[in-house]
Amino acid sequence: MFGYIRIDRANLLGKEYDAYRGVYCSLCRQLGRDYSIFARFILSYDCTFYALLALDLCEETPCYKMGRCRFNPFKKCPYANSQSKAFSLAAALSVILAYYKLRDNLLDSPWYKRWVYRLLQPFFARWRRKAAKNYPQIDEIVRTMLERQIKAERDPACVLDQAADPTATMLAEMCGLLADEISLRKPLEKERTRRILRSMGYFMGRWIYLVDAADDYRGDKKHHGFNPFLLSGMPEEKALAPYLQATLNHALSEALLSYGLLEKGRFDRIILNVLQSSCVSIQKNIISQLNPDEEQDGEVNEKSL
Amino acid sequence: MKNPYEVLGVSMNATDEEIKTAYKNLAKKYHPDNYTDSPLADLAEEKMKEINEAYDTIKDQRRNGTSGGYAGGASGGYANGAGYGANTTRSSYPDVRQYIMSGRLDDALELLNGVPEGTRNAEWYFLMGMVYSRKGWSDQAYNYFQRAYQMDPGNAEFANAFNAVNNRRTYSNPGYNTGDNMGCSACDICTGMMCANCLCNCCGGGCR
Repeated sequence: MFGYIRIDRANLLGKEYDAYRGVYCSLCRQLGRDYSIFARFILSYDCTFYALLALDLCEETPCYKMGRCRFNPFKKCPYANSQSKAFSLAAALSVILAYYKLRDNLLDSPWYKRWVYRLLQPFFARWRRKAAKNYPQIDEIVRTMLERQIKAERDPACVLDQAADPTATMLAEMCGLLADEISLRKPLEKERTRRILRSMGYFMGRWIYLVDAADDYRGDKKHHGFNPFLLSGMPEEKALAPYLQATLNHALSEALLSYGLLEKGRFDRIILNVLQSSCVSIQKNIISQLNPDEEQDGEVNEKSL
Repeated sequence: MKNPYEVLGVSMNATDEEIKTAYKNLAKKYHPDNYTDSPLADLAEEKMKEINEAYDTIKDQRRNGTSGGYAGGASGGYANGAGYGANTTRSSYPDVRQYIMSGRLDDALELLNGVPEGTRNAEWYFLMGMVYSRKGWSDQAYNYFQRAYQMDPGNAEFANAFNAVNNRRTYSNPGYNTGDNMGCSACDICTGMMCANCLCNCCGGGCR
């Protein structure tokens, strides 16, 4: 995944931000415990959100304890104490995704970067093997979906929805998995929760894929890389912004509507902050980068006022 | 049965007005029209039923001065709109609707693709939109819903679906705080300036 699922700190209460930081630091610690101290470098916001969602569904309330950060001994971090599988699932997802991303990068990077990736590959492979042993279903889903992604991109009749489907399905499966692996809080029912999580995951995955594609639009256009917004039938670059906005809004709305059906949990406000505020501003920034001329016009107008 | 006050998210001491507001907000959020083309439509319908029942129970309890018991039936509640599947009897494609309702999307798509191009009516486009929407292929769904609406703008079912999709594409989902409410618009600036001017006038200054 790509680090787009972040929080909007300005719109969070202090205690909510502390809870989020607790999840972030605990996932970092879990990566160190389960894999290696160097595995802590692959910590991502997306997987933090995954752990947060898992903890939100969990029956047991996490307790926080302050501890020293391994990377910065002068800093104290809140660490969540939870017996649930939330962190180990998120850590396994992190290393499995990192491994496949590295393998993907090996195929389409300049030679000097490939050298670095080759040196890193054995470590990533070892972590992935360990994670796959504990959670074979995660490895299977990620591998299958990345294969489907390659196939979809090679299909000459590929449409936007088809290109976004593998990443979306991957996240749908990952979120659906939580209903099986986590002991759910009351009054959540397993089947119902799984359906809601799968739908929410699908549209969050779709949003991540599309927002990443929007972010890479200029680069892909220049280097003739695959991009769903460059497929035939798509608007020209100048008219692309409203289309991007509508498509991304659509995915985000569907994720929000799905999440709305879930009974509120302990991290409801943080999850809503991500969906209603942070993702909106992230997509706005990316779209505005595509239209820098318009932004400049806006600035002139503002000054002239 | 769940505690009706918990369902509406209000305290037992809430006033009638507070309960009504909470009910209205929830009804807006879970109204079946928001979920017609969603794979979770049935769950939204259940939720709506639960809210209607909770509201009715509280109303009855307060009217009769009782503290327990379930009266049942959503009398004055929001009805289930133009619920999907309501048109099965007068549909040109009842089988397709049945497949969609039971989640057999591939079968529905196969049947729809078998319809010759010349005979495809607005309902065909609407049902294609429905299949794609339930699959999560929102872009295709939007195109089909738009076409269905353009071909037959008078049909409430097509108009509802197109309207719901448009709400999602502008991220203005009823019942959610998703509108573009960050920062201030040109109107806000104007209103602010007018207020400031009034205040200045009070002190004898202001724009002339």
